Amino acid sequence: MSGTAKKMDTKLPERFKPVIDYQSCRTCKRCVNECSFQALDFRDNRVVPIGGCVACGRCLAVCPVSCIEIRTVPSQFPPHGNWTERMRRAIYAQANSGGVLLSSCGTDVEHPVIFDDLLLDAAQVTNPSIDPLREPVETVTLLGGRPGRLKVSEGEMLRMKGCGNPLVVMDMPLMIGHVSLGSVSYNTQKAFFMAAKELNIVAGSGEGGLHHDFYQYADHICAEVASGRFGVDPEYLKGMAAVEIKIGQGAKPGHGGHLPGEKVTPLISETRMIPVGTDALSPYPHHDIYSIEDLAQLISVLKESVEYSMPVGVKIAAVHNIAAIASGVVRAGADFITIDGFKGGTGSSMRVIRDHAGMPVEVAVAVVDKRLTEEGLRNRVTVCAGGGIRCSADMIKVLALGADVAMVSTAAMVAVGCRVCQQCHRGLCSWGIATQREDLVQRLDPEVGAARIVHLFNAWNEELKEVLGAMGIDSVESLVGNRDRLRYQGPNPKIAEIMGVKHVGEGWG
Amino acid sequence: MGVEREMDLYGRGNHLHPCMTYANALQPLPQPSQVYLAQRPPGLKYMMGGCGIAGCISLDGRLIAGDRIRAMLTIMEERENGLGAGYACYGLFPSRKDQYCLQFFFDDEKAKERAEDMMRSYLDIVHDEKVYHHPVADLRPPYPIIWRYFANVLPKSMKGEGLKKGEEDVVIDLVMQINSEVDGAMCISSGKDMAVFKGNGFSHQMADFYDLPRYKGTMWISHSRFPTNSPAWWAGAHPLSILDWGVCHNGEITSYGVNRKLVEMSGYKCTVLTDTEVVAYIWDLLVRKHGLPIQAAAFAMAPWTYDEISRLDPESRKLATWLRFTYREAFLNGPFSILVGRSQPEVTLIALADRKKLRPMIVGRSPDGGIAYCASEECAIRLVEPDAETWATNAGSPMIAKVGKGILRTGTEHPFQGVSP
Repeated sequence: MSGTAKKMDTKLPERFKPVIDYQSCRTCKRCVNECSFQALDFRDNRVVPIGGCVACGRCLAVCPVSCIEIRTVPSQFPPHGNWTERMRRAIYAQANSGGVLLSSCGTDVEHPVIFDDLLLDAAQVTNPSIDPLREPVETVTLLGGRPGRLKVSEGEMLRMKGCGNPLVVMDMPLMIGHVSLGSVSYNTQKAFFMAAKELNIVAGSGEGGLHHDFYQYADHICAEVASGRFGVDPEYLKGMAAVEIKIGQGAKPGHGGHLPGEKVTPLISETRMIPVGTDALSPYPHHDIYSIEDLAQLISVLKESVEYSMPVGVKIAAVHNIAAIASGVVRAGADFITIDGFKGGTGSSMRVIRDHAGMPVEVAVAVVDKRLTEEGLRNRVTVCAGGGIRCSADMIKVLALGADVAMVSTAAMVAVGCRVCQQCHRGLCSWGIATQREDLVQRLDPEVGAARIVHLFNAWNEELKEVLGAMGIDSVESLVGNRDRLRYQGPNPKIAEIMGVKHVGEGWG
Repeated sequence: MGVEREMDLYGRGNHLHPCMTYANALQPLPQPSQVYLAQRPPGLKYMMGGCGIAGCISLDGRLIAGDRIRAMLTIMEERENGLGAGYACYGLFPSRKDQYCLQFFFDDEKAKERAEDMMRSYLDIVHDEKVYHHPVADLRPPYPIIWRYFANVLPKSMKGEGLKKGEEDVVIDLVMQINSEVDGAMCISSGKDMAVFKGNGFSHQMADFYDLPRYKGTMWISHSRFPTNSPAWWAGAHPLSILDWGVCHNGEITSYGVNRKLVEMSGYKCTVLTDTEVVAYIWDLLVRKHGLPIQAAAFAMAPWTYDEISRLDPESRKLATWLRFTYREAFLNGPFSILVGRSQPEVTLIALADRKKLRPMIVGRSPDGGIAYCASEECAIRLVEPDAETWATNAGSPMIAKVGKGILRTGTEHPFQGVSP
C-alpha cells in the first residue's frame, strides 16, 4: 500500500560517473566545492564520486590540472529494443514517488529534425550572388502590425498620410526568447538584456515580471503577459519595446508556467509579487480568455493601456490546428504572432507533455505562413518563431519557411555556459543560470555572459548575410517565406508537400 | 531597316565576329521539338532568363512607327536566342481609345469559341478582327490563331455578389478566368488603346511576322529573350500585360516566392508563371488599386537600404520605412531592369533598374526633345537617334515619361521628389 513505512525506493544505477586521475589530482577540492549536485566528496584525502552526477561539467571546468573525466556509465539494464532504459527508469521513478515526472530544457527524445532535411539554394549564372563583404546585405528586421496598404500624398515631395503603427526596429532577425526571472537567475537575465541592447534586438521578459534594475533595458524588452499575470502592473507595460500575451509555450502546450517554490526567493517574490517559497503555478488558460473574442478584448485592453505606443503580440504553442488559430489571432488584432515549436526549452515541464505534445516549428511556421497568405492576412502581421533553433542554418530555414524573426533561448543559454543537463527544475544549476542560490548565481558574470551572446548572434547574423549573398538576395525580407529557395531531401515527401517545399532535384520550372 | 541579311542555320543575322570559329558558329543549336502556342507547356512552373529591352515614347505627341522599335531591339542580338520576343504599342487605337482591346492566342477554333462565350457574359464585344500576321520564311509554324476584340464592360457584370466591382476588376477577373480555365486560350493583352505583338522567335522574326511598320503609336516597349530553361511558348514571351500595364523585364527575381505571395494575397492568379507576370500584377496593385504614386511604388520594388534611409530627412525616412515594411513582399530582389507601360489615365513609360543596378538601363532624349528612349544598350538608342542625349538612371530610381508632357523624372532625382502632374 502506498504510505507504508517500508523502504520501497529502487536503487538505480548511476548514469554518469566522474573519474579522477589521482596521479595528477592536487586535492585542491575545488571540484567538490563547485559541485552543486553534491556528486563528489573528499574522503581519506582524496576526491571520490558519491553518486548523483548529472554531467553538468562544472568540475571539469574548474579543475586546475584537468584530471577529471565524466564517463557515461554503460547501460546496466538488460538490453531490450522496446523496453528501453529510458522507459524503465521512468517507471521506477514514478513507482518510487507516485508523481508526475518533471524535466527541463527542450525534449531530449530523438524526434526527427526537419531542419536537417532542408537544403538551401544558391545563385549561379542567371542571377549573380552578392558578396556581403563588398556590398550591402541587409538584416534589419521590423516587428509590428502591418497595415496592408499605405496612403501617400503627392506634392513637391511625397509624404505618408497618417502616422503608422508602433514599430520595433531590430538589427537582425533574431530575438532572445522569453526566459523568466525565477526560472533563471538575476545575472542570467541581466546578461540577456545587456546583450539585446548591445545587439539592438529584443529579449523576452518571461512571465515573471521585470526586476526594477532592468527597467533601463526596457526599450529592448518584450514584456510578457501570461496567465498568472505575475508582475504585471502599469509601470511594467510602459516604455517596453513590445508586449506579448503568452497563450502557450512550445515545451508545454496547454500548460502554464511552473516555478518550483524552492526557487521563489525574496528577489523573485518581490518581482513576481508572490510570497517567498510558494510554487508559482500559472493557470493553464488565461481565465479571462476562453475564446477568440476574449483574446481580442485583451489585445485591445493592452493596446489601450500602452496608448498604442508599442506592438502587442500573441505567443502560441505549435499545436496541430495552428494555422487556423494563427488566423484567428491575427483577426483578433495581434500585431505579431510568436509560434513556439514543441522542441522549445523550459525551466520545468511535465515530461509527458514536453516529449509528446505539439508539433515541430518548421511545419508550424510553414502552414501558418501559407494559411495567412491564402486568407490575405500575411501582410498584416509579423511572425516570430522559435522552439528548437540550434544554429544559423536553422534560423535561415525558419525564415525561408515564413518567419520574420527567429526566437532563440536555449542557444543563448548555452552561450553563457549551460551544458543542457536538464536539471533546471531542481534549482541547483552549477553554472549560475537556472538557480536562485546566491553562491551559484555569483558564478555567472553578466558582462561576460552578454559578450558571449553578442558574439554568438553576431556570428549567426554574419552567416545569414553570407547565405543571403549566395542566394543573390540583398535583404532579409526577401528570404522570409521564400520557400522556393529551399528543397527537401528527407524521408517523408508528404512533409515537404505540407510545408510547400519542393523536393530536391525539382528545379524552378 | 532596309538591310537584307543572309540567314545562317540559326535563322539569325549572319555577321559573326571574326574570332568566332566556324566550328563554334555552325553548331546548330537543338531547337525545341515541341512549340507551344497559347496553352501552357505541361509541367512548367517557372520561367527565367536574360534579355534585351528597348522602348521609346513620343514626348510631343507625334506618332512613332514600328520600324523604329524594331531597329532598336534587333540590334541587341546578343541578348536573345530565338526563344521569344515581343513588342507593345500604346496610343495605338485613337478611334477606339475608350474600349478595351483584348488580344488572344488560341490553339484552335474550339478554344476561341469557349473564350468568346466567356467574354460575352461580361463584355459587349463591339468589333473583332484577326491580328494581321503573315508567315516568315525562317519562323517555323505552327502559329497560333491571333485575334483581337474591342469591347465595353457590361454594366451588369460590375454588380458582382454584393460588392460592386470596377470595370478594370471585371476585365482582370475575366482574363484570369479564361487563362486558367480555357485550355488553348491565353489573353496576351487586355488594355485600352494598346496591344501586344509577341511570339516565339527572334525579335526580327516577330517584327516581320506582325509587320510592325504598319502600326503607329505614341509609345513602344519591346523585349527579346535569352531564356535558360523555358520551352518554346508563344504566350510566355514578353511583354506580359494585364489591363493596360505592359512589362518588359530583363532579370531574374530572387524573391519570386515572396512576391508571388503578395499578388496571390491580393486576388491575382499567376497563369504565365514568370517573375515578369508578378511584376505586372504588383504595378497594378500598388499604383491602380492602392493609388501609390509611381515613385513610391518604384521605391517599394527597389528600396534604398535602411542605412541610406537613415540619412533622409525625417518625413522621407518615415515614408521610406513604411513603404519597405508595408510592401515587403513587393520588394523585387535580385537583378532586373524593367520597362513598364500603361495607357490609363495617360500613356506613360516607366524605366526602372534594381537597387544595385545589376542589369543595364540607359535613357536618351532626341536632340529636338520630341522622343525619349530607354534600352539595355546604348547602341539601340544611337542607331535610331545618333545625336541623342543619353544618361544612366540611378539604381532603383524610375525614369517616368508621359506622352505630350515630356520626361517627368530622369531617374536621377531624390526618390520621393514629386512630379508635376
